[in-house]
Amino acid sequence: MAVRDDPRSSEKKQSDDLQTFNAENLQSNMRSIYYSRTFLSIVGGVVAGIFGFTGLIGFVFYFVVMALASLGFAAKAKFSHCAYFDSWSRIVVDGFLGGLLSFVLFWTFAYDLVHIF
Amino acid sequence: MAEDLVLDTAIRDWVLIPLSVVMVLIGVLRYFVSKLMRSSQLPDAKALKEGQVIIRARNLKSGANFIPSKSFRARRVYFTNEENGLLHVPKEQAQNAQAQMFSDPNMAMDMMKKNLSMLIPQSLTFAWVNFFFSGFVAAKIPFPLTQRFRAMLQNGIDLSSVDVSYVSSRSWYFLNLFGLRGFFSLILGEENAMDDTQRMMQMGGFGFDASRSLAAEKDSLDIIQHDWALPKIEHRAEQVLRKLLR
Repeated sequence: MAVRDDPRSSEKKQSDDLQTFNAENLQSNMRSIYYSRTFLSIVGGVVAGIFGFTGLIGFVFYFVVMALASLGFAAKAKFSHCAYFDSWSRIVVDGFLGGLLSFVLFWTFAYDLVHIF
Repeated sequence: MAEDLVLDTAIRDWVLIPLSVVMVLIGVLRYFVSKLMRSSQLPDAKALKEGQVIIRARNLKSGANFIPSKSFRARRVYFTNEENGLLHVPKEQAQNAQAQMFSDPNMAMDMMKKNLSMLIPQSLTFAWVNFFFSGFVAAKIPFPLTQRFRAMLQNGIDLSSVDVSYVSSRSWYFLNLFGLRGFFSLILGEENAMDDTQRMMQMGGFGFDASRSLAAEKDSLDIIQHDWALPKIEHRAEQVLRKLLR
């Protein structure tokens, strides 16, 4: 699983139960999540195409991959999202559908190359 | 599926793959051309100063609770007082700035260059695809769709008997156009990722007015409720230091 979250660039400052975030680090974490998701959606598309998934199974595959990615991010953040992100939705929800178009394109491409011609 | 079309492998070799490769290469080319054409104009000293002031005010706003209220009030007065506060802009000056912004030709030129670098390659590739590859089925998407999508996916083929999941080459071009965005963001870095949307945003901010954002920043500083988050920090620091000394 290509989870390239960079723990070095994140930091946690604690002061009297007041959580503060370094905006740049937060952004860098979100960016690495975005990259991982894009990468995964492209690779997932190619894999789905080579396996020859059609119809609903392909989309289910996409969502399974994305759910696995969310799980991977959570594991990478050691299941304590507050150290790296300001809410759970950053890990679980953000960019869930963003890679769908890339996924469909690469799925179609690989499927056509392998199965149609 | 009622009838399976058999697609010639030559279509794969001479249409599908070249089209995708060309789309990727054009995207890369566009990125570098727009990078070359980006003029590095000398920033105006006054505008730069105003921008820095705004950033400082924002820092003060976000860090407000980490300083004692006395220091916060002193800083706020420094920024917002009505006579010589940094964020206070006299009325007549504000009008001037706007007029100056609209008469600046450099800005419009820059905007046009950016738009052209986006528009020209796109229209060129579209013309190229139209000229060489129009009118036949090039690919098949692996999921069924309803008849509504026919106009979108079989652009250029006027046959109602063909299954909707077959894609014409022109529509494959469009699929590439949208689907490759994520791919570009991977290979070219983030600068390209939100390119198009960001350009739209920039266009929206064409009449960007520094004095207005100064005033907005001033208002938001004025209404801050100050609440010091670290009232016991000195005691804590003392404890820590004593522990260190011991």
